[in-house]
Amino acid sequence: MHSSVMITSDLLQQVGLPAVLEACHCRTPQGSRLKNAVRFYNDQSREELEKELAAISRLTVLITEKHPQIVEALTQLARLRELRGTFSRLEKGGLLDDTEFFELKGALIIFSRLTKLRDILISASVNFEDTSAATALLDPGGRSNPAFHIYSEYSPSLAEIRSRKKEVEWQISQNKGSQRRTLLTKRALVIAEEDQEEERIRWELGAKLADWLPQMQHNADACGLLDFRLAKADLAVRWNGARPKLVEQGLPAVLVDTRHPEVAANLEKHGLQFTPISIEIQQGTTVLTGANMGGKSVALKTIFLALLMTQLGYFPNCQSLQTPLFEFFAFESSQEGDINRGLSSFGLEAVSIRDHYRRNKIQRGLIVMDEPCRGTNPAEAAAIVNAMCKTYGRSESSFFIATHYPVSSQPGIRFYQVKGIRPEVLHQLPPYQERSASDQQEVSEPKTGITTLVKVDQREDLTRVRRIQNLMDYRLEKIDGMHAVPSGAIKIAELLGVDEALLREMLAAWQEE
Amino acid sequence: MEAKAGLLELAGLNELQSLALIGMSKNAGKTTCLNHIITAWQASGQTRQLALTSIGRDGETEDILSGRAKPRIYIPAGTLIASAEDALQRSDALLEILELSDVRTAFGEVIICRALSDGYVELAGPGASEEIAVISELIRQHDPECLFIIDGALSRRSQAGSGLSEAAILAVSGITAAVPEILAEKAAFALDLLQARLVTPEIQENLMPLIISHPTARAILLSQGKHQIEHKAIELPSLVGFGLDISKELQKNSSVLFLRGAITDQLINELLKEPHFANLLLVVEDGTRLFLTPGTAHKLQRRKIELAVLNALDVRLVCLNPTRSNGQLLNPEPLLAALRQKITNIPVVNLGPSNM
Repeated sequence: MHSSVMITSDLLQQVGLPAVLEACHCRTPQGSRLKNAVRFYNDQSREELEKELAAISRLTVLITEKHPQIVEALTQLARLRELRGTFSRLEKGGLLDDTEFFELKGALIIFSRLTKLRDILISASVNFEDTSAATALLDPGGRSNPAFHIYSEYSPSLAEIRSRKKEVEWQISQNKGSQRRTLLTKRALVIAEEDQEEERIRWELGAKLADWLPQMQHNADACGLLDFRLAKADLAVRWNGARPKLVEQGLPAVLVDTRHPEVAANLEKHGLQFTPISIEIQQGTTVLTGANMGGKSVALKTIFLALLMTQLGYFPNCQSLQTPLFEFFAFESSQEGDINRGLSSFGLEAVSIRDHYRRNKIQRGLIVMDEPCRGTNPAEAAAIVNAMCKTYGRSESSFFIATHYPVSSQPGIRFYQVKGIRPEVLHQLPPYQERSASDQQEVSEPKTGITTLVKVDQREDLTRVRRIQNLMDYRLEKIDGMHAVPSGAIKIAELLGVDEALLREMLAAWQEE
Repeated sequence: MEAKAGLLELAGLNELQSLALIGMSKNAGKTTCLNHIITAWQASGQTRQLALTSIGRDGETEDILSGRAKPRIYIPAGTLIASAEDALQRSDALLEILELSDVRTAFGEVIICRALSDGYVELAGPGASEEIAVISELIRQHDPECLFIIDGALSRRSQAGSGLSEAAILAVSGITAAVPEILAEKAAFALDLLQARLVTPEIQENLMPLIISHPTARAILLSQGKHQIEHKAIELPSLVGFGLDISKELQKNSSVLFLRGAITDQLINELLKEPHFANLLLVVEDGTRLFLTPGTAHKLQRRKIELAVLNALDVRLVCLNPTRSNGQLLNPEPLLAALRQKITNIPVVNLGPSNM
């Protein structure tokens, strides 16, 4: 991954970038290589990004209107093979074998067919160079078929040897026993001559083809670019992506009805709908608050992914999006902790806080933090969170943070909250009912081993959690300042059957605060 | 010439689209048999072309394992072949490359070629049956009418049947046994396994969707439940060495056990330790998956376990190559007589090298 994106690979996975790359189907090795190189566009490469996005946009039109050249282009691209090995051998003046000549001939035919697809090439801003002279070298008889062998047309001497060989072979087919064996020996001698002449021709042919190497390499790269842009356009059509509008520095990023492709797909599998998210992210700090289960983490990931996709030259999954170009992206969430590495989660957070801050001093970034300091002493944690919000509020970077700690209203700090569940809706849910003991026994008991220690059947609880989630309004709304952290957590605990005594204590403690 | 053209009629090769050659042992004479078919095909003036590939490697001048000289494959112009790059380098027919298959072997990518001249070729095809299917598809694209012959090494890891070919020829030689009666006994038993009966349409209907939906399951068990047939798919890295993992899933009401892979004595013996491995139908992909000795087959019979296959193999011909592993030529007549006495429903012919 590009050093312009500061994120752990686990988090990147959660943010969903690998899934985006996987969903973008390139057909050629050249296109896949471009995709996997993951180019990050910043302000210096703004023009190139504009060109890339414009090309994708024009291609989406052709794909949507099912332009006949699209199928032809995809068919041709699917046939293109990896050519680096063959090109490198040509460049070094090595001897090519027939398979490699065949491969080159195939590629040259693909180049010439793609060259004819003017509509696509213009839309994709891709151009091919004329390599018809190289094609002719591999088709001396003008047969116009993709097959290849060392043709007799390459040299009169080869033609003569082969005609002698053919005569011997005819005799072999007419004879048996010792006569046949003698003829086979005779044939072996002719074949030695043929081999020698064929090898001479291979050297000569390779040298002639090497003259066309720059053009062939250019065309192979053009195929990769065309393939990658078509794949991105296809993804944009499948995911209802929108062409992002790039705005000047200092202007806010405005995302309208943004969806997280992977989360949305998972929800759809369960018959649920992803609630699109809209937000405006200004220079400075944006604080996101909201009830537990309100989808704050998903909102952060959705927005981060959409803006990152934009700067990687993809169409984000949204209704519309405008954004300035950030010099770097950072995402930090200690949610999963680093229990496996045995490292303190705050320790790692502190390292990220340090690194992001240092980078921010020299470059404009988009820095996203999901509930930092969640495991820290609340008073100190609130101090740290407030300090970051205040500091970044004065910076040119955009700091986007989800937190439960109260953040005081200051210039440069804006607030959003997840709409959440309206209290009256929550109260309409039927109270939790304990299942009877006999019901519980119906659950098939695991036979042996560690499974006897753990609760296996969670179906009922999961259903209930899902029902509560269904009531949640995941949309974000802009608010003036940070309200008292919305309650709802204790109500949710109650709805999930937390015992009364414990609930009473929770409420009492809440009121004391 | 007449006898050779007769070979085609004897095995009914004229009307076939595909054929597999199966050897009972290494050096059973498959290549010799293939050369006979090629000669007969040419002699009888067939208009259709032959297309050749092999499972694994064949046609090389020396047996890689024993170092002994082997017969080479001599093809006429027009024949299609699918063989790996390295093997093509060692072929001397003028070959036109038609397509690169993307199927890789230890000897390089398998390439589809057409011979523009007569000559020797070495065949080295893919090892897995799915890859053979890819090759078959590509060959058909270039020549829909051809007779596609798969020179199939009968080995534990690859297979000649499994729906890849319509028919098969079994090659037997003096290597399996030099004593006529013993050879005949062994060949007849091998034929029984190869031609194990096809499962009933009803069981096929129950099994096929499960096999398709569990592509990596090594074993699928059908049991008669209270109201309906229940199934269990068992995912294992291989069959060999995992017999106990399969047998522990067997119940009293288990009625069908499908196993994907080679069925060996060792596996069956592991399964036999489980008393519930009885009174059921053991289904395998095809007869080439069964590597059982008569003793083990007998044990299965006693447990009332029947064998059945998903793809029946139509064995058209048994070819005898009357040579022993040391190259000594045996008198073919007693061998032929013994084989013909034991194998009555399939023609047995002598296609030894001396007959070429």
